[in-house]
Amino acid sequence: MEYAFFLGCTIPLRYPQLEASTRAVCDTLGIELKEIHGASCCPEPVAIQSLGIETWLTLGARNIAIAEKMNLDILTVCSGCFETLKSVHVMLNKDKRYFDMANEIISKIGYEYKGTSKVYNIAEILTEDDMIQKIKSSVSVPLEGIRLATHSGCHLIRPSKILEFDDPERPELIDKILSALGAEVIQYAEKVTCCGFCARLNDTIGDDLCEIKFEDLAKNEVDALITVCPSCTSQYDLHERKINRDKEVKMEIPIIHLPEIMALAFGIHPKSENMDIMKRAIRPKKLLEKLNINI
Amino acid sequence: MAKDQEIVYSDDLLTDLRYQISNQIEGKSLLACIQCGVCSSGCTVSQYIDLQPHRVVACLLLGLKDEVLNSNAIWYCSLCHRCTERCPKNVDFSFILALVRNMAVKEGNIPAEYAVSINNVLEYGFIIPYSGAMKKTIDRNRAKFGLPEIVGPKLEELVFIVKETGLEKTLEDAKKIKKKEVET
Repeated sequence: MEYAFFLGCTIPLRYPQLEASTRAVCDTLGIELKEIHGASCCPEPVAIQSLGIETWLTLGARNIAIAEKMNLDILTVCSGCFETLKSVHVMLNKDKRYFDMANEIISKIGYEYKGTSKVYNIAEILTEDDMIQKIKSSVSVPLEGIRLATHSGCHLIRPSKILEFDDPERPELIDKILSALGAEVIQYAEKVTCCGFCARLNDTIGDDLCEIKFEDLAKNEVDALITVCPSCTSQYDLHERKINRDKEVKMEIPIIHLPEIMALAFGIHPKSENMDIMKRAIRPKKLLEKLNINI
Repeated sequence: MAKDQEIVYSDDLLTDLRYQISNQIEGKSLLACIQCGVCSSGCTVSQYIDLQPHRVVACLLLGLKDEVLNSNAIWYCSLCHRCTERCPKNVDFSFILALVRNMAVKEGNIPAEYAVSINNVLEYGFIIPYSGAMKKTIDRNRAKFGLPEIVGPKLEELVFIVKETGLEKTLEDAKKIKKKEVET
């Protein structure tokens, strides 16, 4: 299983520890990642799309064209990249006018968008039936007695007519991975509540949405919140610290990126060169204690 | 009618506003709206905005351009896509809002944060600054995790795309509009 590995910006530049755990997990599961040389920002689906649809589509088409030259499907690890690249793929393949517009421009710099490379998010690959079996058999530190909540985030599941992954209102596929790791996955009222990161032109929105989320998580006494998107991950990590400070509470719900919790269950040491799970505002000390992992 | 509401005469309506949206990619669904309000009832940011999603659509269909462009609803959207997901007529509201933001941008209304984003993409290839001392720190961090070197894009290719798709001109025009506003 070989993919063109689309890194994006946030993970490789800001959170390399998340890239490290992703690569370690893929290595364990036999998912081969090929580097995409010359890729740019996906481009980002909030600011760049808002400034100009044509620019957003054409920059995206250029990135996809590089993977097409490699004759590979694309694997994304950030939900923002997934949303952009899959939307570009679906929209350009559907609308000949824009397909031609993008190609006319990128052909002048030596690229061709054919629409042949499919775009996947890593969660799609990890939740395939035979992969779940592989995950089960790779576990060396089962997450027994660990209560986890998942946050799929918006841009992994909606709009479903484009992204076609999981149920857009009641997502459950990420839960399946965590169950395979041996964890107890809880259902909670605010499971599909948006993290608010993309509503960043008004800070109050993110503050309020995170508060609602954490109130529910605290009530449910979870050991960690598992996220898929790097933006959700940092949004919750930083807001939890903010809520603790502003409201003088002491929540200790670590926000853990999906490949990190998988790496942990696969027996990769949380402070090895393959990951650094302590690099965040809310550290998962209690979780590691429960798993008898010393750091 | 409330006292503070102005009467808008039909001659003043921008009747082709709906087609300015519907002619664009994925914009056609705008015309299917039946004003049921499902989008607004499920909207993540409904309590923060001054024009609810179904009202935005109504304004677009009626030709009330200023009402839409002056509304904070077009910028406060959290892009959760629940409106698009739930619409019984398959109106792609969250994407139509992007087309509306494009319209606002063309009139010179560019949030500072978005301007930084496109500048970063053009200057570094990524949305996050990646050059000089910053690049050294990032590269050192990556090396610590044994990660491969980042081979970024040729920046002139990105500049070319931004120019050819018309965004370069839009950004320049926006600067001029802003300068004029400051002067007057």
